[in-house]
Amino acid sequence: MSFSGFQKSLLISGLLFLLVVLCGPVAHAADDASLSEDDVACQTCHDGKDQLVKKTEAGESLSLMISTKAFLASRHNDTSCTDCHEDLDEKTHGKVKVPMESKRAYRMSFQDSCTTCHKKNVAKYKDSVHAMMLSDGSDKAPTCSDCHNSHTQLDIKLLEPIADVPCANCHKDIYKAYVKDVHGLARAAKGKSAPICADCHQPHAIQAASLGSGIKDSCLTCHKDAAAKHEVWLPNSGRHFEAISCPVCHAPDAQRRVNLRMVNAVGGRQLMEKNGVPQFEQMTKAADGKDAGLSVAELRSFLKEFNLENVDNKAILSGRLEVRSGVNAHQLSEKSKALKDCKICHQAGAAPFQSVVLTMAGPDGRAMRHGVEKEVLNSFTAMGTMRGFYAIGSTRIKLLDYLLVLVVLGVLCVPAAHLTANYLFKGRREKLKAQRQAADAAAGKRG
Amino acid sequence: MKKVYIHPLPVRIWHWINALGFLILIATGVQIRYLDLVQVLSFRTAVNIHNWVGFVLIADFFLWLGYYLFTDKITVYLPEMNPKKYFEDAWRQIKFYGYGIFLGEENPHHPTIYHKFNPLQIMMYQIIMLLLLPILFGTGILLWDVERFSFLVNLLGGVRVVDTIHVLLFIVFTGFLIMHLYLITLGRTRSEHIKAMLTGYEEVSDKSSP
Repeated sequence: MSFSGFQKSLLISGLLFLLVVLCGPVAHAADDASLSEDDVACQTCHDGKDQLVKKTEAGESLSLMISTKAFLASRHNDTSCTDCHEDLDEKTHGKVKVPMESKRAYRMSFQDSCTTCHKKNVAKYKDSVHAMMLSDGSDKAPTCSDCHNSHTQLDIKLLEPIADVPCANCHKDIYKAYVKDVHGLARAAKGKSAPICADCHQPHAIQAASLGSGIKDSCLTCHKDAAAKHEVWLPNSGRHFEAISCPVCHAPDAQRRVNLRMVNAVGGRQLMEKNGVPQFEQMTKAADGKDAGLSVAELRSFLKEFNLENVDNKAILSGRLEVRSGVNAHQLSEKSKALKDCKICHQAGAAPFQSVVLTMAGPDGRAMRHGVEKEVLNSFTAMGTMRGFYAIGSTRIKLLDYLLVLVVLGVLCVPAAHLTANYLFKGRREKLKAQRQAADAAAGKRG
Repeated sequence: MKKVYIHPLPVRIWHWINALGFLILIATGVQIRYLDLVQVLSFRTAVNIHNWVGFVLIADFFLWLGYYLFTDKITVYLPEMNPKKYFEDAWRQIKFYGYGIFLGEENPHHPTIYHKFNPLQIMMYQIIMLLLLPILFGTGILLWDVERFSFLVNLLGGVRVVDTIHVLLFIVFTGFLIMHLYLITLGRTRSEHIKAMLTGYEEVSDKSSP
């Protein structure tokens, strides 16, 4: 195949046109963006030669420098400085010192500014575990600008390096695990086709991953055929999906445990403690006499007490198997390495059943836990409290094992005793038989 | 001695499928529950076999039920309605197994195709066939797919309760099987009852009345 000069130039022109079409809008937007006159005035100082630094009352140093270049490349390049910094007084700004309590207080004061444009996301955020922590008085719960630098925030359509994900600022250990797991490696290699934090944990509407079933639903969003694929080889796959979190099998190196969730007896919703009424901690501590985890009787007594105080919101336990930490949940492996050997869970003494915790959702949206003795899993008397959780083999009720042995031995005694008696009566039986035969013979002769 | 036809063909087919099935269910059940002690089969294989054989036995149960509901042989399961006579007959049978048999006495019950069970057997088999076996099968079906039947499972008190009922009945039937295997050797000869369940005919004394 050969090209003429005209065809070559046509092909090159076409390719160039395609390049312009594909890259044009992004480059265009950044190149074209410019500051308004007012903003130029702001940037004269805030991107000038002198480094502006503000000392907060808490003793922190806050840089007031804003890179014009980064701002113009950001998602907010079409907004003006005063759109967010609306309370600035032109006459006094920069001339009169305005006290600033702390960096965090300053960031929090901008929450409402974000709402002006980002109503939906702020509404989602207000239902999130982060906002609940904030309203519960946490000084670590993130506000908008803890995750989004409003002066440099890029369009979400652009792929940033995974190291830039803001979640890593607080969830360092989890992030470290993520970058090495199957999703993190795929994200680094393939970009947006692989998930990063917000893809599973819902941007803004983030809930505590250890509560509810939101994360499992996230897995199934991408792995749509997971249920059907498991059904092919996994008996009772529906039950496994319900009672086991995905990383239990898909993070083979993770540590596992049984989580007894306190759920509403009617409806099955996870119970959440009311703000200012710290029942869970107080009542579990009071019930746990030896502080070694709740025993069968202590767990029963705790639930009884709890339900007496919460007549309209009675609790039952809903058990499930899960990994022990957020780090464990981010050690997902390739599918081929996932656990498929039933023995890992379905035999006495199986490792995942050596640790048991009782969980209730706290007022800040995070899980509150208290240890439970592992013996509750095998106790006959815990049947009432543990009725919704059972794994064949590993949580079998020991009393039934003793009963089986007793019945088998007892029943075997019957033939043993019967055969012995039969043997002991042998002489008498043969004597009687001889007498009967003699009587029959005599009767025969008479007949 | 005369030969009496007491086990019709459908009953014999039901019985031997049931016998084989129960042995497999007990073996795989032990394997499933005691994986730490027995590892002849993989857990998954044992579960799959247990499920399939369970369904075969449920179908087999309906063969038994259908046969007795739609033929006049249902009389074998009808108990004596006169309590005084029932207890007298039952006591006679207990005395035979507990004492008379050692003296070589004849079994007081003389089976026919319409009355093949002695009073103790009638009571025992009614409880087993009409109460325990349906509960065993029912709980087995619930455990086969807990999610599909989650409403019923929860109604009964949860999966742990359902499993406990299933295991309690497994213990009962294991005990029953051992007793059954011994009692079937208590005919005129050790193998008489077994042969009867194979051929359908049992030898009965000429002197005996139905």
